[in-house]
Amino acid sequence: MDTMPLCPSCNRPLPPNAPKGLCPECLLKAGLQTDAQPGAGDPAQPKPPPFVPPRPEELARHFPQLEILELIGRGGMGAVYKARQPSLDRLVALKILPPGVAGGAGFAERFTREARALARLSHPNIVAVYDFGQAAGMPFFVMEYVDGPNLRELERGGKLNPREAMQIIPQICQALQFAHDEGIVHRDIKPENILLDKKGRVKIADFGIAKLVGQAVSDAALTGAGDVVGTLHYMAPEQVEKPLAVDHRADIFSLGVVFYELLTGELPLGKFAPPSQMAQVDVRLDEVVVRALQKEPARRYQHVSDLGTDVQNITAAGSANPPLLSQPPAPAMPPAPPPEETSDCRILPAFLLAFIFGIFGAHRFYVGKTGTAFLQLFTFGGLGIWATVDWILIVCRAFKDKKGRRIAKWT
Amino acid sequence: MNSSGSTAAEGPGARFLTTHWSVVLAAGRSDSTRAQSALARLCQTYWYPLYAYVRRRGHSPHDAQDLTQEFFARLLEHHSLASADPNRGRFRSFLLSSLNHFLAHEWQKVRAQKRGGGCQLLSLDLALAEQRYDRELADNATPDKLFDKHWAGALLEEVLNQLEAEYQQAGKAELFAALKQTLTGTRESQPYAVLAARLGMNEAAIKVAVHRLRKRYRGLLRAEIANVVADPEQADDELRHLFAALAG
Repeated sequence: MDTMPLCPSCNRPLPPNAPKGLCPECLLKAGLQTDAQPGAGDPAQPKPPPFVPPRPEELARHFPQLEILELIGRGGMGAVYKARQPSLDRLVALKILPPGVAGGAGFAERFTREARALARLSHPNIVAVYDFGQAAGMPFFVMEYVDGPNLRELERGGKLNPREAMQIIPQICQALQFAHDEGIVHRDIKPENILLDKKGRVKIADFGIAKLVGQAVSDAALTGAGDVVGTLHYMAPEQVEKPLAVDHRADIFSLGVVFYELLTGELPLGKFAPPSQMAQVDVRLDEVVVRALQKEPARRYQHVSDLGTDVQNITAAGSANPPLLSQPPAPAMPPAPPPEETSDCRILPAFLLAFIFGIFGAHRFYVGKTGTAFLQLFTFGGLGIWATVDWILIVCRAFKDKKGRRIAKWT
Repeated sequence: MNSSGSTAAEGPGARFLTTHWSVVLAAGRSDSTRAQSALARLCQTYWYPLYAYVRRRGHSPHDAQDLTQEFFARLLEHHSLASADPNRGRFRSFLLSSLNHFLAHEWQKVRAQKRGGGCQLLSLDLALAEQRYDRELADNATPDKLFDKHWAGALLEEVLNQLEAEYQQAGKAELFAALKQTLTGTRESQPYAVLAARLGMNEAAIKVAVHRLRKRYRGLLRAEIANVVADPEQADDELRHLFAALAG
């Protein structure tokens, strides 16, 4: 048997197909090492250590005006904490971006400009920005705290049906149109950034942050600073090519992807099937989705409000069924038809009258004048019974309104 | 098994968004030629692990050759990337699961009507692959584990080829040949004095040259790893996974 050549480093036999005759294990091990002399002007940049969000106690030092409660999210770009502002006695969300993001020329200026632009976005469907700055090298935002899941969590729990999707989309459109009118493009619309609060209201988060972090990422070449790439599925084609030179129509594309995914549960990849073929949705929605997902920005909707209007029109036209959300309807929805109301005061006299005549008829019957007595008895007795039953129904419906549930199935 | 000159070795201006697998994933919605060539480039680098896997699963050399050709033809010509699986972050896992799917569901139907003529977009030297497979040592590892090992090998070979090409273009082929051992070797086994004598340079210059070589190697390695994951955060993890695969 031939003696195998050994690797000079680890002294193990070299495998027969070793790359360039070098020991693969040692090669990989060498690849895992970090550089001893960083920044020597070499094209191969050292990789910064992965971002580990600080513990709430560690953060507290840098934010004396806040009470940091718990870490509620990470990934995306940085980390989010639930916190409390004792001065105003309200809950807020504190978002910090990784320290690596803040380096580079002009970042502070860009950050300030972007944060001020975001602060102008005062809209019920946009997560408000209260404050921003840098602490210990970490850029941060103090934002409105939204107590509720994001769309991704809802999708995973299987809690959304197409009709609910139809109610969410117009709210998103309103928020986006508002931002676009202010000259702000979100750039990172995806289910994780769309929150729903306890009242079922849509709240869009992370406006403009993609632009801030995106620039920083491109400056630092290959880094571990955040998974911007995770949103690749939702990015408009022009955004993939040139991430920072897009306009508001990129948001429309991303919204199209979200919409498609809401309706069908799948991403629109390759030659995708129209939503009506994949789920029980109105066929007219196909056009809306397809138009939003046009590769050419010029062929998409040019204003996100047009998309919202189309969706609302389709919803209104197609609602043969009564609205079905057990949650209260979203503000953009047309109001539900009011339940039937009959005033008690109309029923009560009829009831009394019929009861009296019924008694009268019964009396006559017993006394002996059977002919008309029978007629009176049955007519007015019947009326009385009907009135009583109706009155009971009214009372029960009133009870239902208070508790929000029905007392019995037949009411 | 050599791949053609690659574009992965771009400098600091390169954005991760141009790495091959992320381009392919992003373009899954469209039939861009860029995505097509990115996918072809990926397949050209990593096809041997698939061939070895198929052989290891018990198929004859003849069958394995047909299978490999047919699989890649389908992959490249049918764009079967339209699933919303969030675990498509790694090209390696994607390729293996696609292959398993192909083996389980499609191969039987297809083998009777295989087109012949092979996959036009790749150059697969299957005869050479079989020779290579033949040379390998007996290994008790499962086919999956073996796949990962071969994958690591293919990755390293690609990186080293790129590195060598760079040095050749700079007229430093001899330097590369002399120094490449330092990529794995500790200093004791590669005394700089010996190298200095061989190359007619002084020791300090050797030290600098070695440092540059290793640094460039690491950069290219990371770039190639980034080529096959969708998410920069996964790159470290992928490296560690491959290292574990080789060690196990």
